[in-house]
Amino acid sequence: MRLLHNYHYAAAMLLFCLGLHTVIVRRNIIKKLIGLNIMETSVFFFYISLGYLEGGIAPIRTGGADPARMVNPIPQALILTGIVVAVSVTALALSMVILLYRQYGTLDVDRLMREEEPEAGESGKEG
Amino acid sequence: MKKVAALLFISALAVLLLYVVASMPPMGDPDNPTATHVIPRYLERAEEETHTVNVVTGVILNYRGYDTMGEVTVIFCALAAVLAVLGRERRGVIHGFVDRSEVPASVIVKTMVRFMVPFIILFSVYTILHGETSPGGGFQGGAVIGGSMIIFTTIFGLYESSRRIPLKVRAPLEGAAVMGFFLVGSLGLVGGGNFLTYAWPRVAQGLHPSLVVWLTVLVEVGIGLGGAMVLTSILFAMIREEEEIAPAS
Repeated sequence: MRLLHNYHYAAAMLLFCLGLHTVIVRRNIIKKLIGLNIMETSVFFFYISLGYLEGGIAPIRTGGADPARMVNPIPQALILTGIVVAVSVTALALSMVILLYRQYGTLDVDRLMREEEPEAGESGKEG
Repeated sequence: MKKVAALLFISALAVLLLYVVASMPPMGDPDNPTATHVIPRYLERAEEETHTVNVVTGVILNYRGYDTMGEVTVIFCALAAVLAVLGRERRGVIHGFVDRSEVPASVIVKTMVRFMVPFIILFSVYTILHGETSPGGGFQGGAVIGGSMIIFTTIFGLYESSRRIPLKVRAPLEGAAVMGFFLVGSLGLVGGGNFLTYAWPRVAQGLHPSLVVWLTVLVEVGIGLGGAMVLTSILFAMIREEEEIAPAS
């Protein structure tokens, strides 16, 4: 059966759903960010699995390695890009979380949404 | 209620995705569409066209050089945005950070970190310089240096680590990746070719392969240094405290 043979892809999809569940259900922003990182990792895993070749070798041409047996180098190069972008997104999001915590003293999304309106009104009066 | 709705939505999404997976081509098959079109050409001709043994490095720095240059710009922009949000330490001022852990780092941990960090940095230098002949490259090596700085800073504190890498060293090196790319790319223009090409028709029929390798290594070193300094600066910006961010418990 195709689904069982493609178990890498299936695992990546399940990991993606797990990350999405974390992002939707958890109320702590840090945990939401962890879920976002799980989703990113699942996409990387999916891409790298796409480049897999049965019995393949690393795409490094030393010692007369046969190019026909090498795994696909394009997903690896693309995912290197993707990892860097993921790190950048995480760094920016975490710095904003630090700012939020300094401002409100909580990371709970529900409490942040409730506290948002009076704070905005006060700063509006000051301005 | 919200949780049940989320669970239902995610289950539907999972079923849909698994249905798509079940109709995808089998994994690892050499006749897959992902392995047929442009890939054999890259694998067969990368060595003579890019003069790098590692095909992944050839793809990153040569075939898709523009892509990687954009990516390097993305890290630089991330650093700029983090500094815009959190602010940067003033020049010449060393900030401390409050260690709130229940158990202070023991002598064993401190000795081990002090012992290991030089070796970690040595390994990252190897990773950067051997990027075109073995697995590795600028991004990986830079991330390893950044990781060693994270270990050092969490154990010894911001004071010790920003004394070792002060702002006046970090600030010029943060743009090293972008500058390295721009420099090597402009050399291609000077040589009569296109931006970021390593074939210089005005100078010679084709550059000597060893010179192309050296240019590749130059870009890799730039990426490694720039990535390491960007990671260190982001860490310092996050760990620095001007006022207490958490109420003292």
